[in-house]
Amino acid sequence: MKSGSARSKKLCGKMRTFLPAVAEQLFGDIQKNYEETTQIPDDLLIALKFVFGTCALQALDLVDQRSVTCLSSPSGRKAFQVTGGSGRLYTCFLSCHYCPCPAFTYTVLRRNQGLLCKHILAVYLCQAMAVTQQESVSDQQMSAVLSGTEGP
Amino acid sequence: MTDILTLVFRTLSSQTGQNKDPSAGPPSPAPRSSTLLVGEHRLSRSVLLLAAVTAASELGVRVAFFAQTQIQSLPECLQRCSRITFSYPRTLEELLQQVAGLHESPCPPSLIIIDRLDGFLRGAVAGSHVGFHSGDESRAAHLAALLCDTAAFLTEVLEKRGSSSAPCRAIASFLSDADSGQESRDASATDPVLAVLDRYFQARCTLDQDRSYEAAAAAAQEAWHVYLSGTKIPDDCEDGPALAQEWKLFIFPEGLMEFKLV
Ligand SMILES: [Zn+2]
Repeated sequence: MKSGSARSKKLCGKMRTFLPAVAEQLFGDIQKNYEETTQIPDDLLIALKFVFGTCALQALDLVDQRSVTCLSSPSGRKAFQVTGGSGRLYTCFLSCHYCPCPAFTYTVLRRNQGLLCKHILAVYLCQAMAVTQQESVSDQQMSAVLSGTEGP
Repeated sequence: MTDILTLVFRTLSSQTGQNKDPSAGPPSPAPRSSTLLVGEHRLSRSVLLLAAVTAASELGVRVAFFAQTQIQSLPECLQRCSRITFSYPRTLEELLQQVAGLHESPCPPSLIIIDRLDGFLRGAVAGSHVGFHSGDESRAAHLAALLCDTAAFLTEVLEKRGSSSAPCRAIASFLSDADSGQESRDASATDPVLAVLDRYFQARCTLDQDRSYEAAAAAAQEAWHVYLSGTKIPDDCEDGPALAQEWKLFIFPEGLMEFKLV
């Protein structure tokens, strides 16, 4: 568990370059509080809702369901998979923000109104709380997952 | 990748007089790992091929070159160059699969080149019956994000091996719909796909034809403005200056190209 959390810290750090400082600070605070108390205090929850709007509650639901899995293959390549409410799998990348869900396309890409969707937010939260599931796949399965051609 | 493009322009620039050293000239801009080359196909492909040759010969690194159609009249030296691998995926799906599979390669490339992103993205739409607003942006974002994530991963792999071929860069060419109709200057304002690509690529290199007198004055067939620009800097050098360089490209009768720093 220890090494798992050290690893997730590093992964999270890479994606953070795409975040504004306020969101970065928030995830850092959540990580610190959760490590010490295994809880997210109310003021941080309020801040989360303030920064990410309705996304925040939906993402916290996904975290409660342990919906985020970090896939790794022998080559060392990693990717996140988030199981949506309907059971659909969404593959999110490690180093930049992308999610195949409609909300990401409409809100983030098209209208430029949000930073991320509930799935990517769930990835950040799970990483901060060290509750990401781990799963190993073959290199070929990883390629298929990354290209969106099939599930693992 | 901007470092390789800068090297290309410099190597081919007209150094009037004795100075032929490509390392001379203004200091290299902070390297951005991914560059989008925006402009007319014929010229952007030449620049991509030059980038491939420069990376393979000057830097001695491996190059993965993806294009939708076989490149006609590929110089023989290029075909025989073992450091450059040409692949010809026919569809966006095939391209995604091949780029996604690069992590399986025992000798990963240090430069990933994709010729004509627009061709792959447009082809994908033609198959569907939904209007232009279908999944264009999402497909473009998926491809761009995969490319950037792959370059980031391969950079780590190359660094771990302690090889001098790190980092891995990516460069892709794109011609906007708005641009192919000539007139409009800044296509990203009108082309939603270009706006999405700009989100993921750290730098942009724009090729703009110069129809003024200068081309004629230089006895060149064509003259082009080449703008290198980028605002995002890699994580570790946040204080670096925003990238902005301008070159002028002259194309002479026998296809000879010459770059000049403006
Ligand atoms: Zn999503």
